[in-house]
Amino acid sequence: MASALVLLLLFWLAKNAQVEGFAYFMNIALIGVTLGAVYALVALGYTLVYGILELINFAHGDVFMMGGMISATMIISVFNLGAHNSTFSVVAAVAVSLLVAMAGCGLLNATIERIAYRPLRHAPRLAPLITAIGMSFVLEDIAILWKHPSYVQTPSVLPHGNVFSISGVTYTWEKLIVVLITIPVLLALVWLVQRTRQGKAMRATAQDREAAAMMGINVNRTISFTFALAGALAGAGGLLYALYFNEIRYDTGYKLGLIAFTAAVLGGIGNLPGAVLGALVIGFIQAFNEGLTWHSPGSDWTESIVFSILILILVFRPSGLLGEQTPEGG
Amino acid sequence: MTAAAAPLLEVDGIETFYGSIQALRGVSLQVREGEIVTLIGANGAGKSTTLRSINGLNHPRRGSITFEGQDITETPAHDVVKLGIAQSPEGRRLFPRMTVLENLEMGAFQRSDRAGMQEDIDRVFALFPRLAERKSQKAGTLSGGEQQMCAIGRALMARPRLLMLDEPSMGLAPIFVDRIFETIVEVNKQGTSILLVEQNALMALQVASRGYVLETGTVALTDDAAQLAQNEDVRKAYLGES
Ligand SMILES: Nc1ncnc2c1ncn2[C@@H]1O[C@H](COP(=O)(O)OP(=O)(O)OP(=O)(O)O)[C@@H](O)[C@H]1O
Ligand SMILES: [Mg+2]
Repeated sequence: MASALVLLLLFWLAKNAQVEGFAYFMNIALIGVTLGAVYALVALGYTLVYGILELINFAHGDVFMMGGMISATMIISVFNLGAHNSTFSVVAAVAVSLLVAMAGCGLLNATIERIAYRPLRHAPRLAPLITAIGMSFVLEDIAILWKHPSYVQTPSVLPHGNVFSISGVTYTWEKLIVVLITIPVLLALVWLVQRTRQGKAMRATAQDREAAAMMGINVNRTISFTFALAGALAGAGGLLYALYFNEIRYDTGYKLGLIAFTAAVLGGIGNLPGAVLGALVIGFIQAFNEGLTWHSPGSDWTESIVFSILILILVFRPSGLLGEQTPEGG
Repeated sequence: MTAAAAPLLEVDGIETFYGSIQALRGVSLQVREGEIVTLIGANGAGKSTTLRSINGLNHPRRGSITFEGQDITETPAHDVVKLGIAQSPEGRRLFPRMTVLENLEMGAFQRSDRAGMQEDIDRVFALFPRLAERKSQKAGTLSGGEQQMCAIGRALMARPRLLMLDEPSMGLAPIFVDRIFETIVEVNKQGTSILLVEQNALMALQVASRGYVLETGTVALTDDAAQLAQNEDVRKAYLGES
């Protein structure tokens, strides 16, 4: 059944590539990579937190949205960026905005853990899930008070010129920049988790909290750090979203958060490479669905398709593509 | 024995709860410098809970715990290990997705001396050559006996002054049980005091200098190990004699 679906999907892609021509198909795929990069930054936050606490941080998408709002404020009010700016000042302003968004969201997410989840650490699993949903509403209301319910428009400061254009396949700078910001952030994450003492503490706490405490690891501090890290990644995602899509609203994070969560489950919840893979797959699916024309459902259907995928994974492969990694599971 | 020497570990009348369930009803025990002390008792008597109270995972509601003269009753678990108490817990509790070597390194997490760590890894591998062969294998895929060795090795990596072992012979083949007990004696000779919880009361009493018998959350009996091994009630209840 599952393999029949995959075959059908591959056939649909191949047929589209034939109908549209290879160059068009590749252009759509490049959009998919860009979407996947933004989703990956958010999906990693779900997976990091789930891996260590087995909690779905429903407020995470809204932390991402706050990252977008912080970035918009930096770009518009602090740096007043626009078409008139030199390349250097754009690069500097984007770099500073990235750091501010990451720091702000890291702090925000760690604070959420401290006030909404930690007091319920020993309560039944449903309790923190409900406060997570509550935190999601709180953040959206804060965003409405801060930025009003309408879309915040950010100027398009990324260059739109082509990096290359080879026989119809064109890659624009704005897409490349999204990927160029994402990759070092991901590499820093891998280094942190694999190589540092703090990363070791995170991995140990995720695998057995009490045993980690017995090794001398301050479990509460490690959990705070994990939330801060997840928030920082979401902050980076928020900046990229504001730069690439140029508009953001209080409910942007709700929708994108659910898509990123699906990506995390698709890759295998708790599994960091899995979250990136899942995000890329979802990014491709969205881009193909919205860009291809031969029997494609179109953008109205994107969310239905993403959630159908969520249901299919939960039924056929609950541990995801690369296998889940939770305190209880393998 | 010098009467003046304060015990390394002094547990005084602790009462520990799981929610509203009282597991310990006033347990008192001592471990002196250089001793092997064993804690025996039926299932559910409170042996593991006693260790969990000492290592800071379940703070007692009443009573006190003193280690090297310092009150550690309320000290969080991650600080207790820094003071010099390490444990191989019930159920081993290894980090399943880390290799054997990484698990051993985790045991030394609160230490900063790299050279000493390598020395201790070599020492653990000398005690358990089997672990050296398996050092790159994920701990979750080790056999039960290998996991037990890894858990003991991991606790040793903390260079503890007091090593607490919760049923180290659990689930092991007789040949491994012998090996584990030899190791306990060896580690003790190297200067580590040991608090040993065991189902295998006969062997525990052979290696220990003193023992405590726990019954439903209280110390029912305490004596020199040799005396306990002779005690009729103990023989009936724990040494399988009728
Ligand atoms: N997490 C828990 N929640 C509630 N009660 C518990 C919990 N852990 C242990 N207990 C209870 O506390 C009492 C003492 O348990 P403990 O694990 O200390 O016994 P034990 O002597 O180690 O037994 P065993 O030989 O079976 O390991 C038991 O009655 C047990 O049911
Ligand atoms: Mg026990």
